[in-house]
Amino acid sequence: MTDVFFYIFSTAALAAGVGVVVSRNTVNGAMFLIGTFLSMAAMFVLLEAYFLAVIQVLVYAGAVMVLFLFIIMLLDVRESAAKKTSVYTWVASIVGLAILIVGAVSIVSAESIKTKAAALPEPSGASLKPFGYELFTTYLLPMQVTGFLLLIAMIGVIALSKKLDTDGAAK
Amino acid sequence: MGSELYAYGLLAIPLFSATAIAFFFRRSGGIATGVSIGAAALILATALHLIFKVDNFEYNASWIEIGSFSVDFGFLIDDLAKLMLFVVAFVGFLVHVFSYGYMKDDPDRARFFGGLSIFMFSMLGLVMASGLVTLFIFWELVGFSSYMLIGFYLDKPSAAAASKKAFIVNRVGDFGFLIGIVMVFSYFGTFSLSSLAGEFHEDASLLDSASVTAIGLLLFCGTVGKSGQLPLHVWLPDAMEGPTPVSALIHAATMVAAGVFLLCRTGFLMTADALQVITWVGVATALVAGFTAIAQRDIKKILAYSTVSQLGYMVAAFGLGSLVALGGGESHGHAIVTGGVAAAMFHLTTHAFFKALLFLGSGSVIHACHHEQDIFRMGGLRNRMPITFWTFTIALAALIGTPFITAGFYSKDAILALAYQQSSPAFFCLVLGAVLTAFYMIRLWKIAFLGSPKSESAEHAKENSLVMTIPLCLLAIGSVLGGFVWAYPRALKPIIEVGESVAHGEHHTVVAIFSVVAWTVGLVGAWLIYRGGAEKDSLESSAKPVYRVLNEKFYFDQVYDWYVAKVQQPVAMTLHFLEQIALSGLIIRGMAGVAGLIGIGLRSLHVGSLHNYVYWFIGGLVLFWVLAIGIF
Amino acid sequence: MIGLEHYIIVSSLLFSIGFFGVLLRKNTLVIYMCLELMLNAANLALVAFSRYHGGMGGNVFVFFTITVAAAEVAVGLAIIVALFRKRQTVEVEELNALKN
Repeated sequence: MTDVFFYIFSTAALAAGVGVVVSRNTVNGAMFLIGTFLSMAAMFVLLEAYFLAVIQVLVYAGAVMVLFLFIIMLLDVRESAAKKTSVYTWVASIVGLAILIVGAVSIVSAESIKTKAAALPEPSGASLKPFGYELFTTYLLPMQVTGFLLLIAMIGVIALSKKLDTDGAAK
Repeated sequence: MGSELYAYGLLAIPLFSATAIAFFFRRSGGIATGVSIGAAALILATALHLIFKVDNFEYNASWIEIGSFSVDFGFLIDDLAKLMLFVVAFVGFLVHVFSYGYMKDDPDRARFFGGLSIFMFSMLGLVMASGLVTLFIFWELVGFSSYMLIGFYLDKPSAAAASKKAFIVNRVGDFGFLIGIVMVFSYFGTFSLSSLAGEFHEDASLLDSASVTAIGLLLFCGTVGKSGQLPLHVWLPDAMEGPTPVSALIHAATMVAAGVFLLCRTGFLMTADALQVITWVGVATALVAGFTAIAQRDIKKILAYSTVSQLGYMVAAFGLGSLVALGGGESHGHAIVTGGVAAAMFHLTTHAFFKALLFLGSGSVIHACHHEQDIFRMGGLRNRMPITFWTFTIALAALIGTPFITAGFYSKDAILALAYQQSSPAFFCLVLGAVLTAFYMIRLWKIAFLGSPKSESAEHAKENSLVMTIPLCLLAIGSVLGGFVWAYPRALKPIIEVGESVAHGEHHTVVAIFSVVAWTVGLVGAWLIYRGGAEKDSLESSAKPVYRVLNEKFYFDQVYDWYVAKVQQPVAMTLHFLEQIALSGLIIRGMAGVAGLIGIGLRSLHVGSLHNYVYWFIGGLVLFWVLAIGIF
Repeated sequence: MIGLEHYIIVSSLLFSIGFFGVLLRKNTLVIYMCLELMLNAANLALVAFSRYHGGMGGNVFVFFTITVAAAEVAVGLAIIVALFRKRQTVEVEELNALKN
């Protein structure tokens, strides 16, 4: 049963991803991105990382995308006509795709990747308690630093969004 | 007193004259004229002494010695050189005298006479040279003096373009020539003409090897350039931008004949295959130039194409005659003067006389008509300029081969006889060429001299002064007598005799009949088609497409222009670009260049376009990937 | 059975889609969104590895990644807004002020 869900949600994620890239209207693209995030959250659930699934929906789909939408509407973006893609673009695209394919194939065909589903270890992200335990003991330093990071980000955003008049002084 | 002192004198006199004019007499035209004409007279005297009183000799002085490589500077005065010396000195002197009158009103005439002196120096050196390197040096000097004299009129951009074209086209031929000289040295170890002749005399089997054919053809490249053979003939008609005495001396009588002279000098190393090529190049040139001359309007251009055609005849004569000699089993060493050489030199001599006369006559006409050169705006000059008219007619009759009374008939007969012996297709082509020659010359004659004047300047033309008419008369005498062996002094006889005997060889009746028929057909054809003193070209009105092809000179110039613009320029720009990076960037400027190049390279990383950064990102990713896999 | 390789393939595909988006679009905001897509693909791979090989590391890493990504988006968008105020455009080509 879970296999079917996997295929459904992965297809949805990929289709929504394509939608982000191709859509002319930026708001449509943002909506597609929200779809991607939701599909990703579903896949996290399939991987039994429930906490992360919830965090994904809350933070990404909830906060980040809302921020995006605010900015899109603030800036009133209009998509202009597509220009001719230069030859470099094609070359780079093909090279990038080739790298990706080669990399993915090589990773996937390595022996250590192939696991039998029956021999799956314990899902470690399933319950919140060990998660929190790890966070505050083994990964304490990164936690604190992330806290500072968020503070700095906040200050930075405030500083950047001040209106500057012509001689550079901040109001 | 060694005989080489006369040779040195022949070189020193014009060199001294040129230097004196260049340093001291630039502004005083009169004195410069006097110095140059005096030098020409001295040259004539010395040359005559050398020809008649001094026996054939060879003189060599060691010039450059680098280890085992040595180049000699020397003189080789044999029958061939003596004949050529006579032509150069005699015609040169007459042209100098003529120029006195022609250039009288020109403020720059000091520069002109300086150029003429340099030309005499170069040409005499070329004729007397004993080794290929010395010959090549004087060859290039002749090219330089031609360049200087063609571009004499500094205010005409067409003259500058023509002189550049002449030099560059000559260069193309000289490139092959130079490679040939280098090959000669690598195969035989010597540049000296006499020792090379000796080697071929000893070992006739040398004539079977392909490399000797290659050498022969490469040396012929020089002739193709200098003597205006197809496809490098394009510079000769443009060279008419120079003053007419220059055209007469350089581009009719002497410099363009230097190519034929080279062939005769190196005749011993021509193999049968090389000679076939040479013959057909000559025949093709004769025909193409003949056809082009039919549709030209400028009197000097008609004469220029006629010169190209006659040079084709000379080259073909050399080829055919040498083929006959090879076929007949004569060993080359015994008679350096084979039938081919003799016929070519015979025609060269007679051609020098009547073509120089034709050019000087046209110069006289142009001078009298106040520099009008279009024949359709002349007319009726017969009564106004009688001496010019009669001398011009004599030269014209010689050129078209009027039977029995002119020199041209005999020399052309010699060529046709050789063609008849060797190759029928060549014979018929050359006969057709004779028809064309008669055709376009009679056209010129009728339109320019007969009928009534078509423009103001033609109406007011009058005969020029004695200074200009006496050289014409002297050359006219040469054009008539030049065909008869008894007219030549003993010293010049050997080559002319052989040439004459070829003309009177076994088939001479058939050949004579053909040439008389060709003469008649051409003459009658032109007489009927063109009216005397016409204003428009009847051929143009009746057969316009044909006329246009001929008038545009078979589009040779357009093809060359396209080639230079579309093929050569991109290659040159690519090389320039590579040179900028490799030479100027790296080698010359060294570390600074390397730093600069790295700077340019790195700067291209910082273009500011986001997408470009992504491309570089991918590039770096690939690099890391490859490193990780372990290829490097 | 769904194994690790399936998740890896999905992750790679999503990553490449996002990558093409960065290459081909010229609106800065859309480029940013595709960047987020790439980040998400990486997250998926991390969680998949963590699940199939045991251990906590992958999940915790994703936790931090999501946090930092959120902060980054905030700051990035603030920069874009400031840029828009200065230059009145968010097209990548028109923003290019370096002379070539």
